Order: sequence, then C-alpha cells, then structure tokens
Amino acid sequence: MKVAVVGKGGSGKTTTSAVLARTFARSGRSTLALDCDSNPNLGISLGLGEAETERLVTVREAVDAGETEHAVSVDDLVDRFGVDAPDGVRLAVVSAIQNPEPGCP
Amino acid sequence: MRVAFVGKGGAGKSSLAGAFARLLARTGERVLALDSDPMPGLAFALGTPGSDAGLPDDVVEEYEEDGRRRYRLRAGLTGSGVIERYAVQGPDGVRFLQLGKARGPRWDNTPAHFGFQRVLDDLPGEGWSIVGDLPGGTRQPFMTWGRYASTFLVVVEPGPASLLTGRRLTRLAAMAGSPRVLAVANKVHGSDDARRVAEGTGLPVVGAVPFDPGVAAAARAGVPLLDQAPDGPAAAAVRCLVEALRSREAA
Repeated sequence: MKVAVVGKGGSGKTTTSAVLARTFARSGRSTLALDCDSNPNLGISLGLGEAETERLVTVREAVDAGETEHAVSVDDLVDRFGVDAPDGVRLAVVSAIQNPEPGCP
Repeated sequence: MRVAFVGKGGAGKSSLAGAFARLLARTGERVLALDSDPMPGLAFALGTPGSDAGLPDDVVEEYEEDGRRRYRLRAGLTGSGVIERYAVQGPDGVRFLQLGKARGPRWDNTPAHFGFQRVLDDLPGEGWSIVGDLPGGTRQPFMTWGRYASTFLVVVEPGPASLLTGRRLTRLAAMAGSPRVLAVANKVHGSDDARRVAEGTGLPVVGAVPFDPGVAAAARAGVPLLDQAPDGPAAAAVRCLVEALRSREAA
C-alpha cells in the first residue's frame, strides 16, 4: 500500500500521516514514512522528538552542501536518510529548504 | 506599514492577517491585503466577495535587456492604478489581491508573478500599507514572495512543530539579509505560553493572541473573525498588535 497525504496547511496532514504510519506498523506491516514537506515535522508527530527530527534534516542538508552523495537506490535512501521511529516505523526526510534562494519557489 | 505573516501551516496566519488588515484600515491607512498562498484563505478571513482576485497577464509587458527577457508594468499603468482597477474591494476599505492560486498543473505563472512584483515595486511612497499572507512553512518567504515587507510576523503556536518552524524561519531570515522579524504567539493559554514562544524561537514576541473558540467558529463558517467574534479576546489581541506595530513604525 502506498498512501500520499495532501491538503491545505493546518488541516492535519502531518498528524494524519503519523497516526496512519504507526497504525499500519502495529498491524504488522513494514512501514516507511516519508516526509516530503519542505518544512519537515513528521518526526515530531511520530514521537521522535525535536532533536532527532532536526538531526534528520541536517543529514538531508549534507547532500545539498555537497558533503555527501545522493542516495543511489530506495534502500540506500531509507538506510542513510532514515531513522527508526516508534512502533517500528522507518522515517526518512527527502526534502528540506534550509537556504533562501531567489527565484520561483 | 508593510508586514508579512509567515509561519507553520495552521498557525493562524490568514485569520490574524485578515483581522490585522481591517483593523489597520480602520485607523485611516490605505491597506492592500495580499494573499500569496496558493491555497486561498485570506479572502475568507477578510470577508471579500470573491476568493480569486488575480492580476491579468497583460498587466506586464515583456522586453529585452542585455539579451534577457524582462517584465515591466504595461505603459500607462502604475502600482496604484493596478490596485484601483483589479484589487477587490473588501470590508473597512481594504483592497485585496491574490497571487499564486493553482489554476492547473501546466499554468505558467511567470507574467502574473512579475506583474505582482512590479506593482509592489511601484507602491512605496504612494501611501499604501501592505499586509501580506505568505504560504505556510519555510519556502523562501524572505526572498521573492515577501520582499515587499519591512517587518515579518512569524505566527507561532506554543507547540514543538510550530516552534521548530519558527526557529527555522529565524535561521532563514538571518541568511537572507536579516529583515526585521518578530513573533506573534497564537492560541496561547496563559502568559507562560508567550514566554515559551520567545524562548523557543529566539524572537521578540510583539503580540500574544489568546486561544479563542471564536477563531475556529469563524474559520468553520467562512466568516471573518471581526464579524464572528469582534469582542472576543483574539480580536482584542490583534487590535493591540496593530497598535504595537504602529508605535514601532512611529518610533
């Protein structure tokens, strides 16, 4: 099953995603939660805490800074940009904007 | 006064910006309210008749300079003229414009985007105050979208995700030429919450808006806060916020 949660700001996307992910994991499915928000907070809703949520962002940031390579495969992405969250959910952060840039967003 | 509301999705940017724009207009200022969030919200918070008040593409004309394609206001148009002609008339005399509404996956927003920028570039000195509602999150608010603003108000709820967003915005602002950035604590339950926002974001807190069921009721009904709960604590706090910023401008 592959589910994407979308909607207006503040409508509850992140909270819904976190509850879905943990519920799937509890039912015995191996579950990957992907935070594709440029302002990634899914870690907090999953119960990882602020420090770990921010640490994941800095791992992702290292790619933009040229300090590390992009993931070469899905498994590599989940392994290097991911962390184990409660109920066995694996969380990976795939996008984050940490530097202001001119141009169209 | 040129302010832009930023912050996490759901923090309350549109609700506060709508009330702020109208209360500022009631002090006698000419106010342009700008929504650059592709998900419309400000129109409801203001109480304008339509939610779509975009600029037609032909507000700007293309020209070439040093071999590059550039855009300028069409001959004969001024920033004020564009507002008089295209901005929707809202309550309390506020004028409303929207940019960035998704009109389809292949919609080219280049002319409208530059039209918006040229109108704003042309406004200073013409006596317009600007109150902007920016998209939620951290997508470049201090550059293209919000560059008209002289003050950014980061709307922050006293919860970890909202505080984290506030900190990220603070960091982005420092990398974008350090504009004036202030926090507005929203949905607070006591004086301790405003302190948490100050400590959690590292920003000066210029206003604290109490949790007010009238705000949620207004959003649900699609009615402006000032019409739904004009005497409630949230409206009173936005009134204080307008006064606080007017004093800062005067100082």
